[in-house]
Amino acid sequence: MTYYLTTLLVYAGVDVIACVALNLQFGVSGLVNFGFIIFQAVGAYTAAVLSMPPDTANGGFQQYILGLKLPFPIPWLAATAAGGLLAIPIGLVVLRRLRSDYQAIAMLVISVIANTLVTNIRPFLNGAAGLSLVPAPLSEHLDSGSLAYQWLYVALTVLCCWLVLVVANRIVNSPYGRTLRAMRERERAAAALGKNLVALKLTMFVVGGSAAALSGAILVGFIGLWAPASWLYPETIVIFAAIIVGGRGNNLGAILGALLVPVGFEEATRFLPQIGPPGLIPAMQWVAIGLLIIGFLWFRPRGILPEPRRRVEGEA
Amino acid sequence: MSHVGATGRGERSASNPPRSELGPLLVAQGVERHFEGVRAVDGVSIEIAQGRITGLIGPNGAGKSTLLAVLAGTLPASAGRIWFDGEEVTRLPVHRRARRGLVRTFQLSSEFAELTVLENLLVAAPNHRGDSLLGALLGRRYWGEDERRLVEQARELLDRFGMRGQESEYAGNLSGGQKRLLEVMRALMLRPRLLLLDEPMAGLHPTVVRQISAYLERLRDEGLTILMVEHELGTVERLCDPVIVMAQGRVIGQGPMPLLRRRREIIDAYLVG
Repeated sequence: MTYYLTTLLVYAGVDVIACVALNLQFGVSGLVNFGFIIFQAVGAYTAAVLSMPPDTANGGFQQYILGLKLPFPIPWLAATAAGGLLAIPIGLVVLRRLRSDYQAIAMLVISVIANTLVTNIRPFLNGAAGLSLVPAPLSEHLDSGSLAYQWLYVALTVLCCWLVLVVANRIVNSPYGRTLRAMRERERAAAALGKNLVALKLTMFVVGGSAAALSGAILVGFIGLWAPASWLYPETIVIFAAIIVGGRGNNLGAILGALLVPVGFEEATRFLPQIGPPGLIPAMQWVAIGLLIIGFLWFRPRGILPEPRRRVEGEA
Repeated sequence: MSHVGATGRGERSASNPPRSELGPLLVAQGVERHFEGVRAVDGVSIEIAQGRITGLIGPNGAGKSTLLAVLAGTLPASAGRIWFDGEEVTRLPVHRRARRGLVRTFQLSSEFAELTVLENLLVAAPNHRGDSLLGALLGRRYWGEDERRLVEQARELLDRFGMRGQESEYAGNLSGGQKRLLEVMRALMLRPRLLLLDEPMAGLHPTVVRQISAYLERLRDEGLTILMVEHELGTVERLCDPVIVMAQGRVIGQGPMPLLRRRREIIDAYLVG
């Protein structure tokens, strides 16, 4: 039961980081990043190949690049940086010339292409089978199977959540956050007031991409494996659903959404009795998440915790 | 050099850009804007005099709003050159022109609906220490002083335009007239040198029109230069001198409104038709 609890807490932390990151992009800045999951994936893969030994180890049953066996926390830091770096070329291609609705389509397409490439180029990241036996952080010094280690991992996850939240709160509650919200409301008017839209969007791509990558690094360190099936494009939709349910533009709403949708909703359906053919319940989960999005957009578009009215200095 | 240049295509040599201390604040030379073969703006050359309200009139489809967008940088020019305060800005994007003081408003209200009135004004404030990622991450201690100063500045504007009571209201909840005023105030927060107004009084009650007119006259008297697209000729006659008349993408006349009213081709193209 305790292992179940620690696992649930780590998953919750990962989802909270992902939702807060996407909230910065979608909820605050109005960027519809349908390729969000690839940033989590790049973080997971980077942390994995930096912490794993060369692929000739373990009998060479997997093929992958690097395999540098770097000590913690270098793989996590490098993963965070990789998410931000990946955001730059993607952002420059997508954000500079495309209208925002086309940006969303382009990101979705990039997400599908990236997954297809990784699945089919086996020497790169072991193809569809994915990477396994990814060492847990500090596992050479500590017993990663012990309960104490599980709680240490929870503490590390909470620390990362706190760091991401501090960054997100500072951005959202600052004049910079105000500019991002103005861009979300009316891009043309914001530009006419001297705001560089490409720079603003690209910065949010980098910040959100870095945080998403960190969440991927935390996840892969905990579960020890990562494969293309973990980051199919519908995973992005789940995070969007969490933000829409929780309340877009509100960091607390993003946290609530993370706890209700990816964690709460998926855990709740886990305990349903088996009905119908195998795979029916997981398939119905997707239907239910789709209905959840439509229902909230229809009846409560601002979510459970709507974006709060911001007070400026001395305002009544 | 007259305040408003000759009609038709440009005469200024490329090697001889205007000098701000002597000439007009904005010069456009042979400006064109095409939309898939349609010449919405077709070789417009104008000069905007400092410290005056210049009117821009013409029938629907004359190219007025397109010209305004090209001057502000919202749309790139297909051809021609633009100088602002003696420096060429033809290739500058809209945000960089705005930072230099060339600021526009829009034909349709463009308030940031989910921001309060006060926030709408603060968004426009230039050089705010907290309006960058680094500034935001450094926290309120780093940018709080700027915020307090700019809130004071915004409140002065709200007092002046009689909207202090609405400062905490969401901008999306304002009336049409209040949204227009908010847009003008927001542009003023940028401390513009040339304000491009696109039909700032369209669809408003005559009382609000008189109120906005009075504000614009006061801004002009304080030295602000304004180029204003407007359909209501009474307002144009009262506020604007000179006036530029456009039809089919070209400038067909310019000068004081009483003189324009006597010109046959302008009467045919616009005043009657």
